[in-house]
Amino acid sequence: MKTLVTTAFIMLLTIATAHAGLKVVGRGDAMRLDPSAFPADMKASYEIMRVRCIKCHTMERTIIALTSGIAPISGQPFDRNATRAYGIKMMRKPDSNMNKQEVKTVVDLLNYLLVEAGK
Amino acid sequence: MHLLFGFVLYLVVATVFTIANPSTSYAIPAFARQHKAECSTCHTIFPQLNEFGEAFLKNSYVYPGKPKAAKSAESVATTTAAPTVQDKKDEALWLSAIPEQIPVSFAASADLSYNADAEDKLDLATRSLRLHAGGAFRDKAGFFITYNLYTQGAYSPSTSNTPTNNRSDIDELFLVWRHAMGTPVNLKVGRFEPKLSLWKQSNKVTVTSFAPYAYTVGSSQFSLESTGDALEANAVLGSRLFVAGGIVDRDNQNTKEGYGHISYKFSGTDFLGNEPEISLEEESVWDYLTITTGAYTYFGRNESSADVGNFFYRAGADVDLLYKRLHLKFAGVHGRDNNPTFSSTSPDTRNSTVLAGEAEYMLGSPVNAISLFRYEYQDDGAGITRRYIPGIAYAPLQNTKVQLQYIYEDAPSTVNRTALLGLTFSL
Repeated sequence: MKTLVTTAFIMLLTIATAHAGLKVVGRGDAMRLDPSAFPADMKASYEIMRVRCIKCHTMERTIIALTSGIAPISGQPFDRNATRAYGIKMMRKPDSNMNKQEVKTVVDLLNYLLVEAGK
Repeated sequence: MHLLFGFVLYLVVATVFTIANPSTSYAIPAFARQHKAECSTCHTIFPQLNEFGEAFLKNSYVYPGKPKAAKSAESVATTTAAPTVQDKKDEALWLSAIPEQIPVSFAASADLSYNADAEDKLDLATRSLRLHAGGAFRDKAGFFITYNLYTQGAYSPSTSNTPTNNRSDIDELFLVWRHAMGTPVNLKVGRFEPKLSLWKQSNKVTVTSFAPYAYTVGSSQFSLESTGDALEANAVLGSRLFVAGGIVDRDNQNTKEGYGHISYKFSGTDFLGNEPEISLEEESVWDYLTITTGAYTYFGRNESSADVGNFFYRAGADVDLLYKRLHLKFAGVHGRDNNPTFSSTSPDTRNSTVLAGEAEYMLGSPVNAISLFRYEYQDDGAGITRRYIPGIAYAPLQNTKVQLQYIYEDAPSTVNRTALLGLTFSL
């Protein structure tokens, strides 16, 4: 029984829904969004974000910003203006390896996720 | 025996692999700890600043745009929840303007130099250990301290097995009153590097400094990157114009020295840390191109005694260009010293002209290596020296850096060839 409770507790910790509108899987550095319910074009966009963004920072940072509406380091509001500004910032970083089309795709995805997180 | 060799080989390979392929890089000096941000937020390879780091510096160590600056992300995130005991503790610290953590970090360097013409051809030495402290008292004031805990001194077999410590010294210690009286003007007082060039002395990836800022004339120890006890007013006007001016006080000397600086950033992230307006639909060369220009002048008098002094001035200009992974830096300065040897009988006036250019190319994603080539032309009034300096800096972790630099120096009376391998880490 004790083992069962412990297992269930660990499962609750590792498979958590951080916000009603976004399905989040994992914790900490391993935190990811579950894209299974995304429209097809957003699934493709998510794949770009998943590969590109976590080269330099965790997905957890992005998910906290989306679900709380506040960018975790700067403390600034994370809204549509912020997604565009962050997109431009990342595009201009010498090491992001993101072209303009990829940045636009990810910004559109973030805006979509902001709406979903607010539901 | 084979087993032992295999085990040692495994350890070496595993260690190298672990260092060279970090799954996650975390750096932990004072600012990174305060803002829970990685080193690469402000640096390319530390301590060289990126555009955001430059904005952070100009904002007197307050995170640009951060609401109720110096409150941590956690504090902000908990504002919608019911207050907790921890919140009240945070509030007490915030009301007292005390940083939540003691903002201290250390930087250490150990170098290897090889000069075939020197008596000690291969020199392995621990060069320095520095204490840094920096941060902000809410958004009202910024502060920064650099204290040299150890800088390599002389070695004597009769006293020690390792070089002695040059005396410990306060290199920087200053306070900035941000936006004094509600104006854009910041007032900075203490010991610091007067704002002259575009790049602070530490803002580089190489072991050696840029010649226009490091050169001295005669016996005078003045260089543009040397620190002094000073009072400075500076301000970001609009968002792309930065001006600074101040006075420097030499101990036991009534005559003050004065300086001024102006710089303008034509494109890229502005001095307040805001990203430029860029169309995500159309391509433009300005999407990635950042150009910053600056000019400065310094007038001073340093004296060896009350009646033996050296009047001098420097006037210079810098250009900084960044395009994607390519970074170009150009600097030039002209100077004049009327008695740099501090002679009481036959003053020797010297004019100086020093020019330098550096091309850097960033590698890795995130950036973990920078290759570079620097050219320096130095006419300090006593002769012309040219230096050709290729180099590479590699940061396997964001807080650990290895620099390899070769210096071919064509001096008036000799040619020096020196290889430098520097290891620096910060914690």
